[in-house]
Amino acid sequence: MPAKPPLSPEQVRELARLADLPLAPGRADVITPTLAAWIDDANALSRKMSAAQHQDLVPATVFTHPLANDAEQ
Amino acid sequence: MARSQEELNALSLSEAARLVKRKEVSPVELVDASLSRIAAVDARLKAYISVFADEARQVAKAAEIMTMAGHDLGPLHGIPIALKDNVATKGTRTTAGSRILGDWKPAQDAAVATRLRQAGAIFVGKLNMHEFAWGGTSDNPHYGAVRNPWNTEHFPAGSSGGSGAAIAARTCYGAIGTDTGGSIRLPSAINGIVGIRPTYGRVSNRGIIPLAWSMDTAGPMTRTVEDCALMFGTIAGHDPEDPTTARVATCDYTASLDQGVRGLRVGVIPGYFFHHLQPPVLAAVKQALDTLVGLGAQIVEVEIENIHGNISAQLTIESAEPSTYHQRWLRERPDDYGADVRSLLEIGEMLLATHYLQAQRYRSLLRNEFMDAFRKVDVFICPTLPFTATKVGAMKVVIEDGIEEDMLSAIMQYTGVPSLTGLPSLNVPCGFDPNGLPIGMQIIGKPFDEATLFRAGAAYQSVTDFHTKAPTL
Repeated sequence: MPAKPPLSPEQVRELARLADLPLAPGRADVITPTLAAWIDDANALSRKMSAAQHQDLVPATVFTHPLANDAEQ
Repeated sequence: MARSQEELNALSLSEAARLVKRKEVSPVELVDASLSRIAAVDARLKAYISVFADEARQVAKAAEIMTMAGHDLGPLHGIPIALKDNVATKGTRTTAGSRILGDWKPAQDAAVATRLRQAGAIFVGKLNMHEFAWGGTSDNPHYGAVRNPWNTEHFPAGSSGGSGAAIAARTCYGAIGTDTGGSIRLPSAINGIVGIRPTYGRVSNRGIIPLAWSMDTAGPMTRTVEDCALMFGTIAGHDPEDPTTARVATCDYTASLDQGVRGLRVGVIPGYFFHHLQPPVLAAVKQALDTLVGLGAQIVEVEIENIHGNISAQLTIESAEPSTYHQRWLRERPDDYGADVRSLLEIGEMLLATHYLQAQRYRSLLRNEFMDAFRKVDVFICPTLPFTATKVGAMKVVIEDGIEEDMLSAIMQYTGVPSLTGLPSLNVPCGFDPNGLPIGMQIIGKPFDEATLFRAGAAYQSVTDFHTKAPTL
């Protein structure tokens, strides 16, 4: 499989536009290396968590019905 | 018998509290000793953003009168305490280490501040920190870089670096820090003091400027485990106004401090805990484990199948949540942030929702594996971080083989696990490197079982003296 090209500052500027984040000139060059590394790692984690054996895992941040629990007190 | 300022500064919080109750030391003396110490050392350390000299002296006088009249406000009656500056204190500047909140004076105390006051604590000041708690060095561009009292050319870690330095330098008897990815435990280890990240939901976050809502906690930082347990008892407990706090009973966290660790099952994960760290750190933690075995604990090797990958999950969550909180300021006042925090906030805006939710699913997986392991062990013990204090300003660190690594990822190698799983975790000093810089071990426990962490830490401190050492300033 050919190596994918690294994340570019232009792509980061596009991401910022999607996020409605006005990046000052030069900012994309500053943050691209770190963002690229974090996205690579996040994608690796996403692949791991998409595996069939983890299909039933819910995120840690779901509602736990606190009001109902309070009513039972 | 009149005690010198030096003798007063050297008292632990627990010793000072006992002496106040016996009327052998006045709160006025304690506050004067703290304020004198701050005046003597803080120009070098920059641990404080605000010092409440006049107010503290007034409250100390009132506390003294109450003591002499036989009235006791609580476990911290007359004790000088300082708070990290992301903890709201009514009517006094609360900056979160930022320019953006540089003029903010909250209308109400944070819940932990209220509880500390109700326990009799006297606030001597607000502590410097990494800007908005989003970083691990406390190199603050607005209020100065905090310095490590053990070597002022080195950093105090963070984000509660001011809290760590203030305690190590004997400027107050207890401090409040906050911990999202390690911000109590890291400065506790690097400054040679005790600090606890409580179970998520054990202590109210109300009135504390958030970093990451799903991982933020607040806890005490002190010189000894006994002090930490005493102070923890005054702030722990459900807060009806903070829906993240749990309706789980608290206890007297000092009651079992002298019960030892005979039969305690200490879990270690050899392939992760003892991998990729500086040799003095490895040696100190292994010696600490031997010490606990000598006291009757037993070591149990455990595998946590999916522990690798926790740093990516930590960074994804810890960046997406603050970037959400800061969206308005980042657009309206981007130049008012320090360079590193601005970069992290911009980066956090560009991770995908699916990245974030997969990280939150990973948390469920990791927590399930640890809860399963807790059927075989009572606590886990590991290094708090894989290296000792680096120079102030360093953004890279060398751990092994001369290879430079990114500071942020490296520093949370071990602290990320409790942050992701919500488990409580206590740092206990366990040695020094050849340059005299402190080393800490992290004791991780079951949910709401802080009492066992304190018991284990107290047992260790009953036969070691690392916690009694003080830096020369």
